[in-house]
Amino acid sequence: MKTLKGIGVSPGYAVGKAIVIREALIDINSSAYTSAEEELKKFQSAVAVFTKKTRELIESLTRSAGKKNADILNGHIVMLNDPFMLSQINDSIQGGKTAAQATDAVCNSFYDMFATVDDEMMKQRASDILDIKNSIIGILCGENGVAIEDVPKGSVMIAKDFTPSMTSRINRENVYAIIAEAGSVTSHSAILARAIDIPAVLSVKNASELIKDGDLLAIDGSKGKILFDPDQETVQKYENARQSYFEEKASLAEYFSRETVTKNGVKKAVYGNIGKPEDAEAVIQNGGEGIGLFRTEFLFMDRPSLPTEEEQFEAYSTVAKAMGTKEVIIRTLDIGGDKAVPYLEIPKEDNPFLGYRAIRYCLDNPDIFKIQLRAILRAAYFGNIKIMLPLITDTEEVLSAKALIAECEKELESEGVLFKKGIPLGVMIETPAAVLIADELAKIADFFSIGTNDLTGYVMAVDRGNGKVSGLYSVQKSAVLKAIEMTVKSAKSVGIPVGMCGESAADSELIPKLVEWGLDEFSVTPNSILRTRKEICECD
Amino acid sequence: MVSKDTVVVDKMGLHMRPANNFISAMTKYKSDITIVFGDKKINGKSIMNIMAACIKYGSHITIICDGEDEQAMLDEAVNLIESGLE
Repeated sequence: MKTLKGIGVSPGYAVGKAIVIREALIDINSSAYTSAEEELKKFQSAVAVFTKKTRELIESLTRSAGKKNADILNGHIVMLNDPFMLSQINDSIQGGKTAAQATDAVCNSFYDMFATVDDEMMKQRASDILDIKNSIIGILCGENGVAIEDVPKGSVMIAKDFTPSMTSRINRENVYAIIAEAGSVTSHSAILARAIDIPAVLSVKNASELIKDGDLLAIDGSKGKILFDPDQETVQKYENARQSYFEEKASLAEYFSRETVTKNGVKKAVYGNIGKPEDAEAVIQNGGEGIGLFRTEFLFMDRPSLPTEEEQFEAYSTVAKAMGTKEVIIRTLDIGGDKAVPYLEIPKEDNPFLGYRAIRYCLDNPDIFKIQLRAILRAAYFGNIKIMLPLITDTEEVLSAKALIAECEKELESEGVLFKKGIPLGVMIETPAAVLIADELAKIADFFSIGTNDLTGYVMAVDRGNGKVSGLYSVQKSAVLKAIEMTVKSAKSVGIPVGMCGESAADSELIPKLVEWGLDEFSVTPNSILRTRKEICECD
Repeated sequence: MVSKDTVVVDKMGLHMRPANNFISAMTKYKSDITIVFGDKKINGKSIMNIMAACIKYGSHITIICDGEDEQAMLDEAVNLIESGLE
């Protein structure tokens, strides 16, 4: 089976027939210049038609996707009524251009202005301008646009790019999925697709050429996978997945706005784990109460040199702002060993898991570590950030990190830079050593988070990648369960909060035990947030 | 003509939504409004101008109003910027 791959931006499954939306080739020179007065009149009536149509779209979008998402289109009306833009169009018409030509020229100049700024938001404004331009010229030249509303049931729509106005005209009853050549997780089309809950795969190279009208496609909206001409078995598989996706979604929907409280009335929290700033959106979309693990390795990998303080600040503050008052736990650099970063020049080791990595590397390279700490302290000003240290095996390591944080605070203070002082510092419990000294660590840390992935490996002395012994790698082994229980109890006896950020926090078998021991916060992949909350709510 | 210096407190800067809120308040006035940001002079009634200027959180700006209702306009503009627009 031929396949295509893109970025999965809106989860779900679909099987449907392709409809490729081709941009209508409108000839902006098709009508001749009449008079300045006439052209201006034409332009004004096009604006009126546009405003009326957009208002209708806003109304229907507010119903299907909520007011905040509909505001995107409200912005289009404001942009089009901009006095600066209108006066340029007016000048252009006075100068002998037709209404369509003037719109084209002025919008293009604004497009260039926004598109060349290296800022995600500005790039989105550029796509807004393009959307406005195409609509106005379409109205002026008698093109009614592609009849997106009228596609038959079971369609998969493919376009070069889905503009906000196109996405908001999608009939969710008939359209089973959308595919585009442009776009990313944060683009309008992705946000709207998630809001109206249809699977979407964006950033698929040459999709509108490779896919032909009528092609049967199977789509996985979370993996970003597109299968051509699937066989009967695959079709059945995808249709079942689509069915169970909807059923599960419906059964979990009620947990979106529910508090995480056990039957006995004990308050818990379900957080999300993220690896990139844009993943914060998925945590919010899934009703996460915070971010329990923000991995920072992505900033350091696949690049030739260290990220600057500004780059790191940008990434951390983006997440802090997105989450508002909700907690964001940033794990400091967990690198070295198996996660190689060439420019750090860490020599190859015989035992990377027992070697020079994570907090060990960071404390040994305070210049690199302090850049990250400064960026985190600055970002903390914009939200509710906490710091978490990985691979702790000794109280000395926590005290050294504290001293470095104090140094960073002093520096930032004397530089007069905005930052937050005294943000909570937590310890990741992922080594047997940390479990054994959890009572000591609890006295100097503000919180614990149990990292079950590494903890299981270290406690059981097993490499999960080695097929001969991987059977021993299980969180259900008595030794691992005891380690978790000890950690939770140590935290409870001192009164600091304790969470878990490994895959096991979403493990249906383990959740009742974790609740019984008193775990406070469960941090899971965004897709598992609602199910985890449901299972916690069903515990005594 | 009246003017005042101020600092943007919106954590996202003057992007689409804040800029939109600012403009809808300013268009009520008859006077002209100019935002001076660095060496840029921005028409304070133009969302395109404001967004293209990329005015971020913490930016120092000067607001200049000129016209028959300039003082009232300046007061509201500064108040809006300083109290946050989101």
